[in-house]
Amino acid sequence: MSNIFGYAICVVGAALGISFAAYSAATNMARQPEVKGNLFTVFILASAFIEALCLIGFVVAIM
Amino acid sequence: MGEAFQQVSDSMGELVGSFYPAAVYGNTTVGLTVYVCWFSLAMLIMVAILLAYKRNIEGRLVPHGTVANAVDYGMEFIANDICKGVLGDTWKEHFPFLATIFFVVLFGNYIGMLPTWKAGTGSTGITGAIALASFVYFIYVGMKKKGVIGYIKSLAPAGVMKPIAVLVWFIELFSTFLRLITLAVRLFCNMFAGHVVMGVFALMISIFVTPALQAFTISNMMTGAMSILWLVLLLIIYAVELLVCFIQAYVFTLLSAVYVQLAESEGH
Repeated sequence: MSNIFGYAICVVGAALGISFAAYSAATNMARQPEVKGNLFTVFILASAFIEALCLIGFVVAIM
Repeated sequence: MGEAFQQVSDSMGELVGSFYPAAVYGNTTVGLTVYVCWFSLAMLIMVAILLAYKRNIEGRLVPHGTVANAVDYGMEFIANDICKGVLGDTWKEHFPFLATIFFVVLFGNYIGMLPTWKAGTGSTGITGAIALASFVYFIYVGMKKKGVIGYIKSLAPAGVMKPIAVLVWFIELFSTFLRLITLAVRLFCNMFAGHVVMGVFALMISIFVTPALQAFTISNMMTGAMSILWLVLLLIIYAVELLVCFIQAYVFTLLSAVYVQLAESEGH
């Protein structure tokens, strides 16, 4: 059971991280539509980094 | 309903175990594993499609047919979104390598999306090999651009005090090797976790529907009705996974491009 709680904490962190990245990306795309492409790339990159941590948590939790 | 959930958690170990690489020939250290076989199949399909594309565009400027147009779109996507966006002027030089990485990862991912097939990129061995190719490539590019000694020196920023530069050099060296690990682990974790989650929902559908098929009682029918919910969730997760397969290939190529750009750039 403890590994499920550990994974839950990990998900909270990742969710906060990705939501903050998405919030900033959306806000700044609205402010400056001309840098939309660059912002999307940065957003995907940042999400990938955050998500990797969460997935490592998942793999550790089920092991 | 309680015992159904109990049954699911009992068979979790078996489910996860079925995703570990099993040897087809030899053992898992030296030999062919299930994942290597699926990956080889994915590569064969990829080569067949790319050869068909090559034959299709020979002698004319515009591809004809669905498959050739899809491959053409993929090529254009890599050239415009990844290479030109990240690398700038030298994009033409690195385009063949990055396109190869993209298609290898993409086909390796998508072959696992067919039911009962396994993703070629679902084991650390294969993702590690692809990550190693990318790692060797960006170090080679850096060394070709700046020379062997020049590249090793360029890990530390120029114009910093000597003791701090040495410290930063060690941190940069560590983070360079960490890139290899994060590239491999990110792809592996995404594929492995995605397939385990889909497997759990598929397992839940079969476990919840079994009592409803055996005896016609109210509580059994209630349990059976729950499996419709799991089916909907499975379809949603499947759709998300189709997206994730593409995004992971994109992220892998994008990160490779960023590393190549960092190795090429003067004095960071």
